[in-house]
Amino acid sequence: MALHVSSAPPISAFHHLLCFFFHDTYPEMEYASSLQRQLASMKKNLFDQGYLDEQFYQLEELQDESSPNFVEEVVTLFFRDSSRLVANIDQALQKYPQDFRRLDNIMHQLKGSASSIGAAKMKNECTSFREFCNKENREGCLRSFQKVKKEHAVLKQKLENYFQLLRQDGPVDKATRSGN
Amino acid sequence: MSMEEVEEAREEGSHGSMFEGGVEVRVLVVDDSPVDRRVVEGLLKRSGAMFQVIAVDSGKRAMEVLGLTEGKEAEQPTVDDPKIDIILTDYCMPEMTGYDLLKAVKEQSSQKPIPVIIMSSENEPQRISRCRAIGAEDYLLKPLQTNDVLRLRDYVRPTALSPKTGTKRKIAIEMMAENSGSERRPCLAGLAVA
Repeated sequence: MALHVSSAPPISAFHHLLCFFFHDTYPEMEYASSLQRQLASMKKNLFDQGYLDEQFYQLEELQDESSPNFVEEVVTLFFRDSSRLVANIDQALQKYPQDFRRLDNIMHQLKGSASSIGAAKMKNECTSFREFCNKENREGCLRSFQKVKKEHAVLKQKLENYFQLLRQDGPVDKATRSGN
Repeated sequence: MSMEEVEEAREEGSHGSMFEGGVEVRVLVVDDSPVDRRVVEGLLKRSGAMFQVIAVDSGKRAMEVLGLTEGKEAEQPTVDDPKIDIILTDYCMPEMTGYDLLKAVKEQSSQKPIPVIIMSSENEPQRISRCRAIGAEDYLLKPLQTNDVLRLRDYVRPTALSPKTGTKRKIAIEMMAENSGSERRPCLAGLAVA
């Protein structure tokens, strides 16, 4: 009579135990990790859909204990500044004859700021606008500017949502670090 | 150097760090964009290379900080102790451009004009040569990266690194003497400067 004795350790039981802990069955941990999943997903979409580029990661790299809200601070500065510039362009477009040089100048500033925060789609629309400016194509400028304003508004909303969620997440565990 | 290593050096303070002398380099950042001013300031502070940042929004204000007035030679005693070790200026600014500022700084009568680095979003070879021709130490493309900022210390003159502790001074000067003669590659668009 042969006895088959398994020499393997009881892995399956231990495995179940591990799953119990790592699947966050505690409510607070569940909430926190669900929040982090949402944040990660939001951020991934922003990058995948081309709203943001790697320059945004650069800003995150500059955030630390001595500047814990650096990214939000810079983004806030951006929207304050960009809103002013957008209003200036709006005004300048009403004028006759068109001062394309001035328009280009303001758009150059807007593009620069957009570039500094990694606002990729906005940056691209700014470039288009400047091309129309260079050709002194007013219709083109008007159409392009509508796109600039749209991208500006969309990005503003998305980043507001993102930072609102980020604030809820609190300083506990920044699982949303760049490069992941 | 990785960010982690730089961070360690900073935490070690002035002992055994890569930046001998343990002295803060005073950078005057000149940019009309509030976003860019803040980002550059963040880069400088986070680089671990001990920068003290003074940020202004125009060439005119920069001249005031430097104790220079446009069109006039600096007569104030501050010219020998400029309070600024290096100037990092945007090129495109209203009224007084970065080029105008660069010119004013390099033309001042002091034998040791302050190093000036130009920042610009435009990678225009003609613009770059114009700036270098009148003495700009470097031309950096925006948005700036950590590597760009770490290089700034290379442009600071030995006398500016006069440290608080006497023993470290010699080391700082020797390091500067080694670097001062080397060629600097212009910073090109989109390329990470290794």
